[in-house]
Amino acid sequence: MAKKITGPQLVLANRLDDGRAVFLTAAGNWSNKVADAAVAANEEELSALMAIAQSAEVANLVVSVTPVAADTAGNTVAPAHIKFAMQARGPSVRSDLGYQVSPNWEQ
Amino acid sequence: MYAYDAYDHAIVNARVAEFRDQVERRMSGELTEEEFRPLRLMNGLYLQLHAYMLRVAIPYGTLSADQMRKLAHIARRYDKGYGHFTTRQNIQYNWPKLSETPDILQELADVEMHAIQTSGNVIRNVTTDQFAGATADEVADPRPYAELIRQWSSFHPEFSFLPRKFKIAITGAREDRAAIKWHDIGLVVKENDAGEIGFEVLAGGGMGRTPVIAKTVRDFLPVKDLLSYLEAMLRVYNEQGRRDNKYKARIKILVEAMGIEEYARQVEEEWVKIKHTPIDVPAEEVARIKAFFAPPPLAVLSEDVPEVDALADKNFIFKSWLHNNTGRHKVPGYVNVTISLKPHGGIPGDATDGQMDLVATLADTYSQSEIRVSHEQNLILPHVARKDLPLLWAELDAAGLGTPNAGLLTDIIACPGLDYCSLANTRSIPIAQTITERFDDMKRLMDIGPLKIKISGCINSCGHHHAGHIGILGVDRRGEENYQLLLGGSGAEDASKAAILGPGFDEHGIVDAVEKVVAVYLGEREDGEEFLAAYRRLGADVFKEAVYGTD
Ligand code: SF4
Repeated sequence: MAKKITGPQLVLANRLDDGRAVFLTAAGNWSNKVADAAVAANEEELSALMAIAQSAEVANLVVSVTPVAADTAGNTVAPAHIKFAMQARGPSVRSDLGYQVSPNWEQ
Repeated sequence: MYAYDAYDHAIVNARVAEFRDQVERRMSGELTEEEFRPLRLMNGLYLQLHAYMLRVAIPYGTLSADQMRKLAHIARRYDKGYGHFTTRQNIQYNWPKLSETPDILQELADVEMHAIQTSGNVIRNVTTDQFAGATADEVADPRPYAELIRQWSSFHPEFSFLPRKFKIAITGAREDRAAIKWHDIGLVVKENDAGEIGFEVLAGGGMGRTPVIAKTVRDFLPVKDLLSYLEAMLRVYNEQGRRDNKYKARIKILVEAMGIEEYARQVEEEWVKIKHTPIDVPAEEVARIKAFFAPPPLAVLSEDVPEVDALADKNFIFKSWLHNNTGRHKVPGYVNVTISLKPHGGIPGDATDGQMDLVATLADTYSQSEIRVSHEQNLILPHVARKDLPLLWAELDAAGLGTPNAGLLTDIIACPGLDYCSLANTRSIPIAQTITERFDDMKRLMDIGPLKIKISGCINSCGHHHAGHIGILGVDRRGEENYQLLLGGSGAEDASKAAILGPGFDEHGIVDAVEKVVAVYLGEREDGEEFLAAYRRLGADVFKEAVYGTD
């Protein structure tokens, strides 16, 4: 059993076609930008987000859907745990790669 | 080098076509992720933190210049301009797109490479001594046997769903550079009293959560019996290895549980039943494979090259490189050159597409178009004439490939860790970077001498921390990165398990701790005594005291 997360949460996944990390938005889309991530304040909101995320998984848009604790201090949103924060930024040892360059770094 | 025959080409190409179809079916939704995942893993394709990761096998660490050029091309065309050489003599690409993976695999197939069995509970890429076939301290080149094992184990129907992954390493040299005692099966090529070539066979080694050093199953196995004996070893494991708990599923757990004598007895019993069935190949086939690995025709040259000595006299960096990064070849006048992929402050094992292209070109010019990859994440040019060293070094150095630190403290093994790996607890690479920056002074490094630091970002131990003279293991401490310090491990012929020294540190503390450990060594060593020997003589306490204080 996964440990129950308390506090604000966001949902991340990897896009099926290129594996890039993406974040579920309030509109039910997947964004490269962690700032666009919908933040669930409680279990009910998270269930609603997870339902959307899982249907995107069934629709073969994303894989590896994961709800994670969000850090919402100072009007920003980011995954709280370093592992998921890394997904929102890119490798710390390659500052020229990943979303730390720009959310649209590959375009 | 081994060259594919029509049969090899056919199966690798068929596999690419099959995977192309599987990817198309996944993209169209015909296959679910659950159905597709094992299929992609069978083709070396993982999903990591930022993207997919493709692990390509470099069989027994041997590459041609053309293959290296292809790896560079793939890095440039399909990835982000670099690749990562791993402790299993593989290369990993960090950013491939699922939809492009079949094209990558086709490009690899065109140069006789693949990603088959680089993942999953199967017999993985067989690893060996990076100097195989070129070193002076060798009984015989182990690569023909590694190739034989590759052919036997590829798509072996009985061993496609083992309890867990299975790693075989083989060396033909006295000095073990392939860490064979840390493998599920280790093979040492040896000669018996009658002058016949065979193998000492070891089993049950492994790292991970339960580190175990392999033990000898059989002292001498004739070459002709190699495959049937391996088949018997795998059969006993396949049947009795645990499948209920993945942390207890490796052969090391089985061998520990039943004892090496009992395991050996059961293997012999199984072997008697199968040794006369057509598993072993006829001597002509062994000879055919051996012919591919015939040593290149090298004219004996003088060991005395005044230009080399003159440059070494006036250039300390070249002198250090000569000392550390070149090793004795079996033909006089030649050396094996280690190209360090450990620039200070850099990422261990990473090479850019440009660097890979350059190494290919240099291999064409200086090393009979041959390149090797070591489990220590460096590249090797074998068969280089000593007289060519000044020119070669200048070209390497200009491309950031001339770091003269092979075998020294900054020649660190580090796994990708949390910068890429979805299983990681902590980052590994930044620790290696900080240590190499802290110990940037070549004079100090030369004074410290041989010292192996190995870093893993989690207990899976891809960074071989159990075998590090100094090992570093990343653990998750309440969501924070924390690093344990281990001392006294060895991956060589005197294999030993490193022991945890005490409580862990944050990313700064661990580097300070390493520095304190090195200071104890420098203060306590006897004349000519290397770090590991000093640690073994002194014991852990004096290091513990220096690192943690007396209270
Ligand atoms: S040791 Fe752990 S963190 Fe490092 S590459 Fe292996 S699985 Fe990933």
